[in-house]
Amino acid sequence: MKISRVSKTIHGKYILSDINFSIETGSIIGVIGRNGAGKTTLLRTMTGILDPTKGDVTIDGYSIFKKPQIKEQVIFVPDSSEAFKNYSTKEILTLYKNIYPKFDEEYFYGLMERFSLPSVKKTGAYSKGMKALFSLIIAFSTGARYILLDEPTDGLDVIVKKQVLQILIEEVAAKDVSIIISSHRLDELEFMANKIIMIKDGKVDSLYEIEEMKEMYKKVQLVFKETMPQNLKKEVTILDQTGRVYTVIMDRNDPKIQHMIEETEPLLFEELPLLLEDIFVAKLGGVSHVS
Amino acid sequence: MFHKALWYQNYKQTRMIIWIILTLFIIHMPFQSVLSLETWKEREEQANQAEGYVYEVQKWDVLQIFSQGTLPVFLSFSIIALACLLIGLERNTRRNDFTFSLPFSRKDLFLAKWLYGISAIFFFHVINFFTAFFIIYQSDYSTALYLVSWIEIFWGPLLGFIMFFTFALLIGTFTGEMISQVGLTFLLGFLPQGVFALIQSFTEVHFRYIFSLPDWINYLTPFHYVFNQSGEIQSVVLPLIFTGLFLWLSTYLYEKNKIEHNGEFLIFKVLNPVFLTGITIGISLAGGMIVSALAPWSADALRVIAYWIGFTTFLLFALLIGRRIVTMNIQFYGKP
Repeated sequence: MKISRVSKTIHGKYILSDINFSIETGSIIGVIGRNGAGKTTLLRTMTGILDPTKGDVTIDGYSIFKKPQIKEQVIFVPDSSEAFKNYSTKEILTLYKNIYPKFDEEYFYGLMERFSLPSVKKTGAYSKGMKALFSLIIAFSTGARYILLDEPTDGLDVIVKKQVLQILIEEVAAKDVSIIISSHRLDELEFMANKIIMIKDGKVDSLYEIEEMKEMYKKVQLVFKETMPQNLKKEVTILDQTGRVYTVIMDRNDPKIQHMIEETEPLLFEELPLLLEDIFVAKLGGVSHVS
Repeated sequence: MFHKALWYQNYKQTRMIIWIILTLFIIHMPFQSVLSLETWKEREEQANQAEGYVYEVQKWDVLQIFSQGTLPVFLSFSIIALACLLIGLERNTRRNDFTFSLPFSRKDLFLAKWLYGISAIFFFHVINFFTAFFIIYQSDYSTALYLVSWIEIFWGPLLGFIMFFTFALLIGTFTGEMISQVGLTFLLGFLPQGVFALIQSFTEVHFRYIFSLPDWINYLTPFHYVFNQSGEIQSVVLPLIFTGLFLWLSTYLYEKNKIEHNGEFLIFKVLNPVFLTGITIGISLAGGMIVSALAPWSADALRVIAYWIGFTTFLLFALLIGRRIVTMNIQFYGKP
């Protein structure tokens, strides 16, 4: 799947701007960004729900807008299953079997049994966790190669969340599929995603493998005799400060910063484990208000 | 457009209104024909008792069963509801996201909705028509069927309903949600006659001049084809032409839909000034017409003053409504 120069304006405002990336099957990709950064708009454009103002989304070289049949390879699972609340389990099955020719009914019932999901007369009667699981089971049974999930674990309890994450990892391991997840749960993405796309102000700020990202930055704790020198403040991202104790993110591959810190003879200069959340704050933090 | 899944989805979405439409058709034609036969029989018996009086079924009696009366009014409301459930409600909920994410072209999505609706109308109409026709044909009053033409009782209403359904779907392709679709279907459904009435009221109050209603205004009014079957060839040809035109336009607009504007008044923002201006002028003129009607018929100056008081008052209402319309966003989100 290739996203080429996709831009989207809504009410005259750029929500997405010149987005470019491609997705190979067999991976889990996390799309992260602050509220209103354009994550859901990106997923909706990638499934043809929204028309891009500019650019294209292609699968195997075919535009999903010009040849919508190719969307048999893509399925979008929104953060709410409003569309099916009046359908019974069997009716949804009938609907999807008629839409996706590769729909695997046996596999569907296998997963339903495994996660102890009962067949119901109205799926609106499922609990929130059950709805999330059911949507995923349906999505994985369609045989689509690209599965786009918008906040799949939002509001789920720990047990259901573990089940959801388990099914995601198993699917990618067992089948040649790619899962694209938009989520605020960076801890979960860190646990399962291979690649992270950071969206900032409607643009791709960065697209890296998680390990690659971690090799680019270093999280350190610093204690100075007095406060941190001003020139050093410009070179690092301060995550936290308590008195003279600083937790900062710095560029791992820039010897100049390392040298500057050593020159100040800090009382403590210790590397800490780097989390995805730290990189998120460092790269996307910006102004503090939530848009 | 023949994708089984889309037909299934459309039926699930509109199951209740489809059964309501079927019930209305049954009451309108077969049930009413049975009741009418009894009424005619009773009237004939009463006439036989009165000397020198012979009862004859009139053309109007037959038209009531097939194409006139109050039931076509309810049917047209139900047809608007069907069109709104197929397009408008999808926009108010997140169903439109699901529909547009499917591996079908938007043209196919729209044509499946259209074909589904007209198939229901066609089969319900044909089955109920012939049932009612047969009930009268095998009765003592079979000659009553010669009083009416096939255009008046079969082709006119059938093509009128199909055209009106297509018209209601067309409105759904550029309105952003269900209430706007219902509102504009009524407004534009009566537009030519409505505009004529407003202009006539204006000239009548100010210049004491009354136009006669030209036929072409009726022919341009979509509701005309649902309520009025004249038996002229225009009742067949014009609905066919309008159906084709509306279908072409609505398919084009549906393909160009920007569903990020779902929930708002109109999908295509370029149309906002046109509609807001039209609605504002229309409401203001209606205000003038209503308030001037309260003044004594003979008091010319008072009627003009009343007209402009009504016009100005309703203009203010229209401006307030217009402001709300521009900022409206109606989306229903169920519990997640």
